[in-house]
Amino acid sequence: MVKNQKKKRSNIVQKWIFVLLLSLVLVLGGLNLAKARGLLLIFPEPPQIVNQTISLGSLTLEQKIAQMVIVHGAEWNMNQWKKLQMGGIHLFALKTPELYQRIISEYQQNVTIPFLVTVDLEGCWNPFSYFKNFTAISEVNTTEGAYALGKEEGHFLKRLGFTVDFSPVVDLEDEIWKCRSFPGDEKEISRLAQAYIEGMQSEGILATAKHYPGKTLVIKDPHKYLVSAEISEEDLYPYLSLTSGSELKGVMVSHVISEGAVDSEGKPAVVSALVINKLKSNFSGLIFSDEVNMLGLKDYYASLEEMYLAVFGAGNDLIINFNDDPNEIHHMIQVVKKGVEEGQILEEQINASVRKVLGMKGFTVVE
Amino acid sequence: MLNVSLGIIALLLLLNLFNITLPSLGQVQYVLDRETPLCLVEWKGSQESWNDIDNCCLEARKQLECEFNVQNTKFGRVDWTCSTGEGSVSYGLNNKAYRYCQQQSYWRN
Repeated sequence: MVKNQKKKRSNIVQKWIFVLLLSLVLVLGGLNLAKARGLLLIFPEPPQIVNQTISLGSLTLEQKIAQMVIVHGAEWNMNQWKKLQMGGIHLFALKTPELYQRIISEYQQNVTIPFLVTVDLEGCWNPFSYFKNFTAISEVNTTEGAYALGKEEGHFLKRLGFTVDFSPVVDLEDEIWKCRSFPGDEKEISRLAQAYIEGMQSEGILATAKHYPGKTLVIKDPHKYLVSAEISEEDLYPYLSLTSGSELKGVMVSHVISEGAVDSEGKPAVVSALVINKLKSNFSGLIFSDEVNMLGLKDYYASLEEMYLAVFGAGNDLIINFNDDPNEIHHMIQVVKKGVEEGQILEEQINASVRKVLGMKGFTVVE
Repeated sequence: MLNVSLGIIALLLLLNLFNITLPSLGQVQYVLDRETPLCLVEWKGSQESWNDIDNCCLEARKQLECEFNVQNTKFGRVDWTCSTGEGSVSYGLNNKAYRYCQQQSYWRN
């Protein structure tokens, strides 16, 4: 009798534990799902814009930092990127032009500040090659041909809704692909790149010369993630030539540790204020970081937080981060915000970059 | 037994909520695999090996799709081909490199 009662009590306790654990699993499951979808994030209110004029003072620090970030424009993150008011989205290969048009159009709907829409249509990498072919730039050897290719690509990108192309590559040596750069020496490459940029930008697409300061397409030591390169005056020639021409609107900085004509002081170039300030002294356009989730950059720092602070602090105007987790992008924004509040990064530097980004989006920026 | 399973699930969910993750099966497989990661760049029938696996993963991710497609090349065996169309560069990865790529924050299909 007593044994039966004990067994009965034990069954009741077990049932209660089961109900309790099941409820806990359901609650935690829901919270995990909400977190994965970015629903636990707190989003800022969109700023007020009158007659295409934005007051910098009406943007919160988080909104300004978010405007400096380009994320992967995946469909599944559309709502989160819109709510976080990211500066730009980057699209990878898709199957049809209609799909690009639909995704870009949906991204641009009901946003106060439109996204920069970026792509890599460069050299012999063509994300549209499932339905559209372009000549590789290694096969172009006349300025007329380079201008025509830039214009053709620009026209095509504009039709789909893009605003920025991370092209042309102006590295002098291409030992790996042998098709990403124009042919010839530094002068020939600069001449062809200039014509290509003029053609593309005549269609309203912002061109980006990359990868500053050069030597990113050479065969590297397989045992080293941190790669250094001796940069020569010849490597820099295309950048000096293109930036002084004032046509070029963007330059992308690489993760290479540079020595020689550009000295990044033992750091990856993209986090070197010295390298970026030198570039800025001769160039007023946008400076893009190369994608930041590369071991060559991440391994240089003890934590992602340190890396985020360094890449913003160095003076890049737009930071490319294709991490598909909105929580991590939100975290990056919070880390940089804290860095600004604690004086590790100057707010004026953030403001200067945001002015450039918003200006490039067609806004008049006032204080 | 059922309660123990639920307890374990609740613990894993709690850890995940606070970003404390345990190594996945893929990560364990990657660590145990003694093969050297291999990435090949292919353009118009010619191949070149690319030692920068991180960058290779990103370029492979930008492609339309990665297919299981075993090829024996002068650089070694590749198991996966990531490509978009005929007129563009494509990437070949061996299993070790492909598993590494799958662990990257931008690799979600």
